[in-house]
Amino acid sequence: MAATAPSKQAILNLYGSTLRASRAFSSYNFRQYFVRRTRGVFQEIKDEKDAGKLRAFYDEKTKELEVLKRSAIVNQLYGGWKLVVEKQQPSRERADS
Amino acid sequence: MLSRLSGNAARRAALRSAASRLTAAEARRSFVQPSQADRASVVDVPSTYQEDAFFAPRADMLGFKLELPQRGNSLTEQARPIYLDMQATTPVDPRVLDAMLPYLTDQYGNPHSRTHAYGWEAEKAVEEGRAHVAALIGADPKDIVFTSGATESNNMIIKGIARFNKDRKKHVITTQTEHKCVLDSCRKLQEEGFEVTYLPVQSNGVVDLKELEAAIRPDTSLVSIMTVNNETGVIQPMKEIGSLLRKHRGIHFHTDGAQAAGKISVDVNEMNIDAMSLSGHKIYGPKGIGAAYVRRRPRVRLEPIINGGGQERGLRSGTLPTALAVGLGEAARIAKLEMRDHARVKSLSDRLINKINAQVEHVVRNGDVNGYPGCVNLSFAYVEGESLLMALKDIALSSGSACTSASLEPSYVLRALGAAEDMAHSSLRFGIGRFTTEAEIDFVVDKIVAVVQRLRDMSPLWEMVQEGIDISTINWAQH
Repeated sequence: MAATAPSKQAILNLYGSTLRASRAFSSYNFRQYFVRRTRGVFQEIKDEKDAGKLRAFYDEKTKELEVLKRSAIVNQLYGGWKLVVEKQQPSRERADS
Repeated sequence: MLSRLSGNAARRAALRSAASRLTAAEARRSFVQPSQADRASVVDVPSTYQEDAFFAPRADMLGFKLELPQRGNSLTEQARPIYLDMQATTPVDPRVLDAMLPYLTDQYGNPHSRTHAYGWEAEKAVEEGRAHVAALIGADPKDIVFTSGATESNNMIIKGIARFNKDRKKHVITTQTEHKCVLDSCRKLQEEGFEVTYLPVQSNGVVDLKELEAAIRPDTSLVSIMTVNNETGVIQPMKEIGSLLRKHRGIHFHTDGAQAAGKISVDVNEMNIDAMSLSGHKIYGPKGIGAAYVRRRPRVRLEPIINGGGQERGLRSGTLPTALAVGLGEAARIAKLEMRDHARVKSLSDRLINKINAQVEHVVRNGDVNGYPGCVNLSFAYVEGESLLMALKDIALSSGSACTSASLEPSYVLRALGAAEDMAHSSLRFGIGRFTTEAEIDFVVDKIVAVVQRLRDMSPLWEMVQEGIDISTINWAQH
């Protein structure tokens, strides 16, 4: 039986959730990398018509989404200082000083 | 003298009696015990006493001595430096960690246990990891031996092959730009009576094939040449070396591929490699695991260093760390999949070099221009490398290999390339990897340009260069 292609809406939903999971990383480098990578791989598949390839892509990325979700949680748990290139939080001063 | 002593004693006795009177009178104690006037004595401040600034609570202490956990989003704002030292080590990819975590928590079996399910699941995971590592270098999974890292692999292979063939063959060839662990293993072999040829390299860091061929002797058992240099990123022509060595019977070809695997395409069959060392933490995997590729057909025989239970074909006994082996496998799988990373590293590297060249003059790139783009070794003339590093506190960089970063000696790799002493002293190594961003590169360039300019403005040498004096012609006075 030939593989049925996932609907365009399903792929778009997957794209949205993957992007959201990528943005959840607390480390600057990981966050940037996964956002960039998600955009890149979904951009490449945009004009794909082959049902088999689309199905394989969809299954693989669904698995990867779970990995990213878990990784983002672990990354948040052990998140550290921000990098110097990131926007730093404004320095707060005590009102009475 | 005597009178002063006795006077002191009398005063102390009086003090003691006063104190006992006080404790008797104030049976009810409070938190604060005010000292009475008769207990007061004038003492000189200790010599170490520093005026007012001796202990000043900072504003963020809020009246308390705060022991803040070293985590983000706390009261003391602090920024982490940018990491540009990917040749020393790479961050663990989150996907690798995710693959490892089950074997660090629930699936704790010994992969060598054959009698129960815990052992079976661990063994299955290790074998999958082995297959991924083999696929990365185009090898057969049975040829891969897990070790603790590339250093152990190098030691095992170099000493093992040389010692196994010691009855008939006593000659080993390597190059001057190898990693310390290869050079040290060779020195150990020299002590055992082997002869070692350390081949010089050309000024671009590449080995001359004619010199290699001339160095081969009938009793040569091993040639060890690294694929990608860890300090300069120079790529050796492995294919040509492999086919050259294939013409001579009985020579084993070993390569240190720690910096090459996953970064440039490596195929052990195409390159005729007999043995290869790999490392986990250079390809976004965990530290503490590496692999050795030891060919079985035609068989490469070597004497193991670690003897014991006979795991890993008897070459490296000891229980395998399941989680680390899985992590190395996952890192290898991702490295094989993520081809888009190569183009990205190349574009970031070009961005860095072009931007620095556009704004600073007298910058020399060490090593072959067509080397691995993720390792850029630049020498800033008339600036001392270590002072440059100290001024760049927002950037994590290195002037050379991490093993030698504690010493101020110039890099022996750059000296082997023929760099002058002052240029070898002023080198910086930029390691660009999968997780580096454009914003980081731009930040680094801005900082470097500013710092180099400032250090040169301070330097009398730079002033002379501006006036047109050739530094090398100066006859420095001897003191």
